[in-house]
Amino acid sequence: MDGDLDVRWVHASGEPSFMNGGLGLTRWDPEHEGIEVGRAFLAPNWRVTDIVSAHAVIDAYGDHDRNPVDLSELYVDIRPFPTNSIRWRARIGAFYMPVSLENRAVGWTDVYSITPSAINTWIGEEFRTIGTELEARWLGAPSGYLGDFALVGAAYGWNEPAGQLIAERGFALTDRPSTLFGDLGSPPMDFYHQIDHNPGYYGGFSWRHHDRLEVRALRYDNRADPAASTQSGFYAWRTRFSSAGARFEPGEHWTFIAQYLDGDTAIGAASDSMNPFEQQFYLTFHAAFALLSFEWAQDRLTARYDDFHTHQLSGPFGPRDQDGHAFTLDWTRELGAHWEFATEWLRVRSRFPPRALLGDPILDTDSQVQLALRYRFTLAW
Amino acid sequence: MSSAAADLSVMVLDRDGKGVREAVVTLVPAVPVAAPSPKAAVMDQRHKAFVPGVLAIAVGDSVEFPNNDSVSHQVYSFSPAKRFKLPLYKGEAHPPVTFDKPGLVVLGCNIHDAMVGYIYVTPAPYFGTTDAAGGFAVKDLPKGDYQLAVWSPYIADAPPSLTRVVHVEANESASVRMQLSLPLRARPEPRPRRRIWDY
Repeated sequence: MDGDLDVRWVHASGEPSFMNGGLGLTRWDPEHEGIEVGRAFLAPNWRVTDIVSAHAVIDAYGDHDRNPVDLSELYVDIRPFPTNSIRWRARIGAFYMPVSLENRAVGWTDVYSITPSAINTWIGEEFRTIGTELEARWLGAPSGYLGDFALVGAAYGWNEPAGQLIAERGFALTDRPSTLFGDLGSPPMDFYHQIDHNPGYYGGFSWRHHDRLEVRALRYDNRADPAASTQSGFYAWRTRFSSAGARFEPGEHWTFIAQYLDGDTAIGAASDSMNPFEQQFYLTFHAAFALLSFEWAQDRLTARYDDFHTHQLSGPFGPRDQDGHAFTLDWTRELGAHWEFATEWLRVRSRFPPRALLGDPILDTDSQVQLALRYRFTLAW
Repeated sequence: MSSAAADLSVMVLDRDGKGVREAVVTLVPAVPVAAPSPKAAVMDQRHKAFVPGVLAIAVGDSVEFPNNDSVSHQVYSFSPAKRFKLPLYKGEAHPPVTFDKPGLVVLGCNIHDAMVGYIYVTPAPYFGTTDAAGGFAVKDLPKGDYQLAVWSPYIADAPPSLTRVVHVEANESASVRMQLSLPLRARPEPRPRRRIWDY
């Protein structure tokens, strides 16, 4: 079992965060800074048989979520021993889809910075695969090629509110993903419900070359019926996106990552009406980032640039058009086997007209400086 | 017997004259000799890699996989010379595996995709792998003719160019120098990355 306790000191400037009823794009804001809990998690894993293992991640984020402690992931991993060059692997349960090239550590933690990119922040907030994923990986080593190539596909449900947060707020940069039974933001939104009877799918591929280069691409479509809703008032958002990225690690020290995502989300029945309140709400979005990281001895330095946009094409409460970019700078130092110290400077500049409805400026600069102290442990059982 | 014995040293060099490490050298005598008795060899697991990366053993030898790494591994191979799967969980005893057919056995780990190891099971009575400088030496060889062959997963040269006949005289020290003409293939250089779990 792995575990982590992360405590912060934060100084933030800008508008109130979406976490606290505003439309600011960072996790903290001037009313919520100082000493804070970053995250505490336990990630037990069990070996059930030689080829079946079970994994869970239990999280506490120390904010006003409805559940102070909640599950983020719970799944079974099945990996039969290969009898030829194809290695099959299945995951069943609730888990993150293989999109991020930044979140590489246990508990979907970002290895390069405290706060992940806008793309991977959003993936962590609105998406969890609750279903079955199958991967077929052609292993090159038996044929003399130091690399592999995989195709992955999944069928899932309960991801139909995905799209509500990006419509409400646009992209953001936080290290506060959603939990399975909790909520995010203020007013609180929760995420993992099935509203109609359509399962969603995603399909993608990954290529790893010489332990140096990894390329991933994925197409996601939750196939929700945007006209559907439940008795209790949950509406289904039809959300689709394509994502592609690459991570290049040429030597021992440098890492370069770039990722791009674009897609759309829609809610409400399609209609020809000229009245926005009768139209389907339809939003397109795209984002990209480039990251450079240098690691030596106990230290790691990371710099990242994010660019993101949303564009509302029809429906009410518009224009929910967001344009923004962000700079992130991180320095992390390992202090022995258990402790880690990290510091991050993050600045997000964005334009989002709906802020005017809250009386906040449409153009906002949210800045955050964080000092994080982390304690990590591993228990064998 | 030993009065007719000789020493042979072999140097395997790449295109630029640098020694090639972990290349398997085998010597088959023109006059057959009795097979050696089975021995035990060791292929360890450290820092998510097999150590050594290339191991040469005789037909009938057994290999122990002690797993001195900090994590569990699951070693497997589907090579025709030996299909097996061996979980190597920390804190549990791991029985050795006997390799009773000649051939190349490519090892992988079911948990860590980047791990690859090679066990070269040879019927030759004299064999070994070159050291870091590319050298391999064998002592007390009976005099006579030998078919010498060099193999490595990272050598791209065609196998016929890597074999030759070597004549060894009694009480002599002979040496063979084999230089490759094609560049070596990339060797895996697994880097111990902290904290990486990889989703």
